[in-house]
Amino acid sequence: MTAWQNWQAAFLKQAQSDWEAYQKATELEWPNCQRLHYLQMVTEKLSKAFLVAGDTQLKNLTGSHAAFVKFIRIMSGNKNLQIALGMKKSQQKAKFNALLPLAREIELLAPALAQGGPNPEYPWEDRSGIILAPADYSFPLMQRLQKTPQGTQLLKYIEIFLKRFEELFM
Amino acid sequence: MSQNHNIVGAAEDLIQEHFELEPSLEQVIWINPEKTTEMRLLEINPETPPTGTVLSFYFPPFDDFPYGTKIAEITPEEWERILRHEIPLPNGWTLDNYKVYSRETVTI
Repeated sequence: MTAWQNWQAAFLKQAQSDWEAYQKATELEWPNCQRLHYLQMVTEKLSKAFLVAGDTQLKNLTGSHAAFVKFIRIMSGNKNLQIALGMKKSQQKAKFNALLPLAREIELLAPALAQGGPNPEYPWEDRSGIILAPADYSFPLMQRLQKTPQGTQLLKYIEIFLKRFEELFM
Repeated sequence: MSQNHNIVGAAEDLIQEHFELEPSLEQVIWINPEKTTEMRLLEINPETPPTGTVLSFYFPPFDDFPYGTKIAEITPEEWERILRHEIPLPNGWTLDNYKVYSRETVTI
């Protein structure tokens, strides 16, 4: 294997491991912050598995957390995926476009992008001056992921990308 | 038919398809089109979130499309900065040779 293939396999393996942790945290009904922390890491590493193979400079990969929204945008026009999922081009585009707001919310969970607001890792101060721990915050995003069609669809696609990565993208 | 001719046709079909699907896509830059085994595309779209970097995603060849594809979406401002060498291109990409496609230059 070439160097980038080794990096890609390593990013994928870590994303799959984070996904397993996300699912266990969900089954065990852990606080939403723990579930979302794992989910944010899944999406970041999954996206980076594609980026590391795309000649993206390694320092840009490790120094940035903003990759998942771009990943979903690019995937919306991916022909191979369209064939694999048996969708029409316009249908795939529309479906993935509808997932972008949730993808953005997941991306913004990274503390570096949360701008001092809600994130699943570190305490923050809200507008009224109250200091909150992630473990005490409900994270409405979790509801939107589990209870809306876009949320369940986004989680389904993440799982497909992780489980069928070798078949579809290697 | 030469390999170069094949990749030109495949690239232009793909670019046309992307213009059809994405109304806000302004331009597509085919970087280093002399490469005959992979395509490097910069898609210029004001609606993509700016990151100040070029994040290029790789998709391997498959049955219906026998070329590896590397695609990055950037804003028009980021493209200007790339041309001024303020934002580096991905490893191995150069501005020595590139083709610019706009909605007007592809048949939709």
